[in-house]
Amino acid sequence: MSLEEPDNPLATEEQVGATEEGVDYDALADLLGDTVIDREHHVNAEGFVVRPDEVQDALFALRDEAGFDHCSSVTAQEYDDRYESIYHLKKYDDPTQEVSVVVPTSKDEPVSQTAEPVYRTADWHEREAYDLVGIDYEGHPDMRRILLPETWQGHPLGQDFSGEEPQVVTLREHANPLQEDHRGEDDTDTMFLNIGPHHPATHGVLHIETVLDGEQVADLDPDIGYLHRCEEQMCQQSTYRHQIMPYPDRWDYISAGILNEWAYARAAEDLADIEVPEYAQVVRTMSAELCRIASHMLALATFALDIYGDFTAIFMYAIRDREVVQDILEDLTGQRLMFNYLRLGGVAWDLPEPREEFFEKIRDFLDELPERLGEYHDMITSNEILQMRTVDTGVLPPEEAKSYGATGPVARGSGIDYDLRRDDPYGYYPELDWDVVTEDGCDNYARLLCRMREVEQSARIIEQCVDLLEDWPEDEREIQSNVPRTLRPDPDTEIYRAVEGAKGELGIYIRSDGTDKPARFKIRSPCFSNLQTLPVMSEGEYIPDMIASLGSLDIVLGEVDR
Amino acid sequence: MAPLQSATPFPKIIADLLGLDINETWVIAVASIAAAGVIATVLLSMTAVLGIWGKRKITAAFTDRIAVNRHGPYGLLIIPADAVRLLSKELIVPEGVDRPAWDLAPMVIASSALLGFAVIPFGNNLQLADPETGLAYVFAVASIASAGLLMAGYASNNKFSFLGGLRAVAQNLAYEIPLVLTGASVVIFAGSLQMSTIVEMQRQTLVTLGGIPIPSWYAFVNPFAFVLFLVANLAEVGRNPFDIPEAPTEIVAGYQTEYSSVYFVLIYLGEFIHIFLGGAIIATIFLGGASGPVLPGVVWFFIKMVSVYLFTQWARSAVPRLRIDQLIQIGWKGMLVLSFANLVLTAVVVGVINA
Repeated sequence: MSLEEPDNPLATEEQVGATEEGVDYDALADLLGDTVIDREHHVNAEGFVVRPDEVQDALFALRDEAGFDHCSSVTAQEYDDRYESIYHLKKYDDPTQEVSVVVPTSKDEPVSQTAEPVYRTADWHEREAYDLVGIDYEGHPDMRRILLPETWQGHPLGQDFSGEEPQVVTLREHANPLQEDHRGEDDTDTMFLNIGPHHPATHGVLHIETVLDGEQVADLDPDIGYLHRCEEQMCQQSTYRHQIMPYPDRWDYISAGILNEWAYARAAEDLADIEVPEYAQVVRTMSAELCRIASHMLALATFALDIYGDFTAIFMYAIRDREVVQDILEDLTGQRLMFNYLRLGGVAWDLPEPREEFFEKIRDFLDELPERLGEYHDMITSNEILQMRTVDTGVLPPEEAKSYGATGPVARGSGIDYDLRRDDPYGYYPELDWDVVTEDGCDNYARLLCRMREVEQSARIIEQCVDLLEDWPEDEREIQSNVPRTLRPDPDTEIYRAVEGAKGELGIYIRSDGTDKPARFKIRSPCFSNLQTLPVMSEGEYIPDMIASLGSLDIVLGEVDR
Repeated sequence: MAPLQSATPFPKIIADLLGLDINETWVIAVASIAAAGVIATVLLSMTAVLGIWGKRKITAAFTDRIAVNRHGPYGLLIIPADAVRLLSKELIVPEGVDRPAWDLAPMVIASSALLGFAVIPFGNNLQLADPETGLAYVFAVASIASAGLLMAGYASNNKFSFLGGLRAVAQNLAYEIPLVLTGASVVIFAGSLQMSTIVEMQRQTLVTLGGIPIPSWYAFVNPFAFVLFLVANLAEVGRNPFDIPEAPTEIVAGYQTEYSSVYFVLIYLGEFIHIFLGGAIIATIFLGGASGPVLPGVVWFFIKMVSVYLFTQWARSAVPRLRIDQLIQIGWKGMLVLSFANLVLTAVVVGVINA
């Protein structure tokens, strides 16, 4: 991957099709002109069907003329008569303005033009599409498998895939005998080093293929997929009503469970038109923010661990405070990690009795939090050595961050004011008083600071929720709306919905086929996109800074690999 | 010329206890070996207690935990348990290691630190030997460890070890010079390299504050040199913020990545004895050696030595690690200049006073 500037970051003053009420899709259709061969209606946005050899023209026009600078996700799927790639586009300034670009390709020759020159983030997303579904992207700089092993046979989400046949062959069998062998040829002064998959600082099973020039990183390529469990496939085999909800807990399993569940709940509720009672929304908001605090605490702890190098004071302090949140969540949901607390149309059950005791526990935690955070600031952010290590290292310029589809604290640490809780409101957030935190540093320090300040904002949200819940009249505590026992959304409805997860934009694409199970379930993981920025941050830096950047990205491999 | 041996070193005490004549050669040999054995045993048991049990408890206290409490009283039985565990593990010899060097490295690391204790005056005349060049000898043998680290890193046939070994050597080079220069400033004060003389020179009273006499320990006489030495010593023993040669989150375990079982124990031991040696040197040349009120001198000496050890543990729990280039920069651009300045200033001050 190169460090070149993206061709044209946010060029226009006038954005075509941007109106007060939302997107004027007719204006966009005029802009795209002949490249559009058809129009589809998705629940979240209009979809323009584009010829597979004109993808870049359409996307360039949408990015440069209409201001769609955020490629959220690329969904690939196979129909009976065609393959299809969907590019879900948004604007960083206003994520409610969405548009989908649908690219059908024929069954015989599933080749479509790559979007990588327009959005860098398409690089990995298209590799995933190739890996799991089997669409080939022409002009892609690095078309190889990403989640599955190199020697995997076939494409597991394609229709003709059979689980009966052997799936992985040996490397020897797989090797192309005509390929030239370059081993031992290069006479350079660099050293190749495998960092991971078993390494103390990779936060799970991440493998980074690193080329070192002395102590400096000359080139690196994250190799993911060690924790791939085909979560999308599992969700496709489960019913909407109850069976899917436990899975999201297992994506970002570092105590962000309820935030993940909300991503599925939001997509499915909008798809099937389910209302959520106000009381349940407040409970959801409160529990989700508790998860965010727990998740950020761990991010803070492990980041400190990466910089300090030992299980030192700051790590243990953060884990101690996270434990309090875990206890509260355990009281609420009965689980410590895999909460499975949300239901379509509400939450599983009401707050634990006696309620006063539960509120007391939360209030005690919130009262102590400022002091704790002060302690953290004393120990880490105001430590001069830590500042030496983190300020101006791992720099991620905002244009690069946008091009790579970075979201969450990674984007906000680069000064991008993007938070779906405010910009694409859901839950009870719009009624509450809180701020979106941004830091302009673009470096490891800014991302750290951003998370610590977000914890404060989450605490504000929780406090307001507790106030509301305390005064909620007893006979109006409706925790779930009426939802049919079996959900069968209308056939061929498609939706892409995202929430602000702990790590960033966690989106779900669902296509229904009239049955009680989704025909296609696609997860847009924030960590997957955020991890792509690692080479930008670390090439040319020292190994310790690369490790620090990786820590500041706060990835969870369960969510990257799904 | 001063005598090679001062009044009553440790072997003579042993010979006297056994009723033998110290002037006979074989008695010198036997008594010296016995004395060395006693000191080595004390140090090794100290490492066992402080390295296995104490380290856990101290770090736990810093990080809000309880640590070992299930093995006997206060978890003390963790010491034999850990010893058995470490010794009974399989010694894995990775393919392609450079055999003699790979095997020798742990021994070099462990023994170089142990050798340094030969000239340390523990107080109450417990000193193995007191040559005129004591301080120079300590610095010389302690720096042999660098060779061991390089051997370990280079012979392991592992890229992480290799990086660790190179880092260790770069770091030790950058910090050994300030260490020795700061030590030399003490020598200028004391006028001798002999350990017993250096201790003796610190007995005089510096000032009397409110009736309490403050001894002229060199830490009080020249606090600047003391701080410099303390920092350089942290780098020398490789503790935070200078634990860069091991840096677990970056290069796994540096030069010791491929060592297991007994070899791991030896490296671990060498590391701890090195910390104790650092503490012993600091106690001797800056903290008045074995001097102190009420308690016997040897107790005071160990208190001072362990305090330095506690300081390294504190640094380990609370201070972030520097980056290798920052470390080298601080070493060559900061510490070296400051220690030269300290040396020159000390020389000028001592010269003026003596004139």
